[in-house]
Amino acid sequence: MNDIVLVALYGLITALATGLGALPFAFVKAVSRRTEALANALAAGLMLGASFGLLAEGSQYGAWQTVVGANAGLLFVLLAHRWIGHEDVSFGEVTGAGARKMLLIVLVMTVHSFSEGVAVGAAFGGGTELAFLITVAIAVHNIPEGLAISAVLRPEGESVLSCAGWSIFSSLPQPLMAVPAYLLVETVRPALPYGVGFAAGAMVFMVFLELLPEAFEDAPRWSIGLLTSSSMAAMLLFQRLL
Amino acid sequence: MDPILVTLFASGGAAATAALGVLPVRGREDVPEAWIGWANALAAGMMLGTAFALGVAEGEAAVPAALGAVAGILFIAWTHAVTGTEDLELNQLDEKDPVYGYRIALVQTLHAGSEGIAIGAAMAVSLSFGLFTAATMAVHNIPEATVLAAVQKGRGTRLPGAALQAVATNVPQVFVAVSTYAVVAAAPGLLSWTLGLATGMLANLVLVELLPESYRQAGHTSIAVVTSAALAMVVLLNAWAL
Repeated sequence: MNDIVLVALYGLITALATGLGALPFAFVKAVSRRTEALANALAAGLMLGASFGLLAEGSQYGAWQTVVGANAGLLFVLLAHRWIGHEDVSFGEVTGAGARKMLLIVLVMTVHSFSEGVAVGAAFGGGTELAFLITVAIAVHNIPEGLAISAVLRPEGESVLSCAGWSIFSSLPQPLMAVPAYLLVETVRPALPYGVGFAAGAMVFMVFLELLPEAFEDAPRWSIGLLTSSSMAAMLLFQRLL
Repeated sequence: MDPILVTLFASGGAAATAALGVLPVRGREDVPEAWIGWANALAAGMMLGTAFALGVAEGEAAVPAALGAVAGILFIAWTHAVTGTEDLELNQLDEKDPVYGYRIALVQTLHAGSEGIAIGAAMAVSLSFGLFTAATMAVHNIPEATVLAAVQKGRGTRLPGAALQAVATNVPQVFVAVSTYAVVAAAPGLLSWTLGLATGMLANLVLVELLPESYRQAGHTSIAVVTSAALAMVVLLNAWAL
């Protein structure tokens, strides 16, 4: 299959996976905050493991470039947050909110999806095996994000279908960004460590900025320690085996 | 020099460095809470960076490393559970109860033991990797000791006493590092298991002991920046050291 089509397809899969997060709401009106916190912790571990794989790979091409890219990824997520004008927005904490908050959560999630799209695209520059893993990691981690979005929208009266739709929408930048990121990495080979570093930096920063602090608020820390470090180890194992 | 002696001196140096951690507390009436948070984040980023370096170390067998990691994660969870410290607030600056002091000392001692496994395992990989890991742990011990010194100050301990305690709680690092190296050098088949063990222990410690309280102390954004930057620094230095 044409590589560009494949990249777009993988990006689309990660986006569609986000919609799965709405599924639990077909049965319940509200997921407990603890469940949502643990879902975030699981996502954090998978993303850390994926980032470690990217960092190790990038370091082989050039450690300096990888770390410069990682810092750019960090700055990108930071600036995206500032640009929205609501730093430290806790989308997991938004309750009984009006339309403005609902809009905000979708906006925040959509903006951060750009860096994930870059991650998918850049991962293809490092070979399809890694790309597949990153795609699985991001697709899996998208599910609790869809869960988080739905947890805000559903109690406001949105239908399950609408929750799934907004969740997928928030991840649409993934296929959109994956293709240019992939093309950039392919055509400008020396940019590869920068691209890989950018993806890792953006993911690591998102873990520390959004996922972990919210998880710590609503679940006991030993459970987060177990879940996040285990999923990180599992991700490292999968990367090694494939 | 005999590698055992190198391990002894390197881990001993790492333990001794902890004394420097009391300096930021010197001459201060109150230690700003944000400092505690940043010190924890700095220590967390470096420790996670070490977990990264151990987790992707050259020549590591995937499955034993992953099983070792699971053992390490469970061991940390188990030690916290049996010592009743799984929910202990580690940064109480005005807690004068003697029992609290003992529990903090216990947590610090177990924490230092895990770092010893990391140093010993790294030494068995190569001399340069071992020295790099010991140096990272040495610098990591400084902000960790700053937090301990702030807690001890609130308990009425004077500065030299706090410095001594910081070093003393890190002494297990030396014993564990030397014995870990000795065992792995004698039984090289254990190397992947041990590297995985240390990876899992360090990752779980970061999540359970260092990060949870930091977010409340200094805010999400600054903690995310400090942790990510410290992690990136270790990734860069690791690539150079190898």
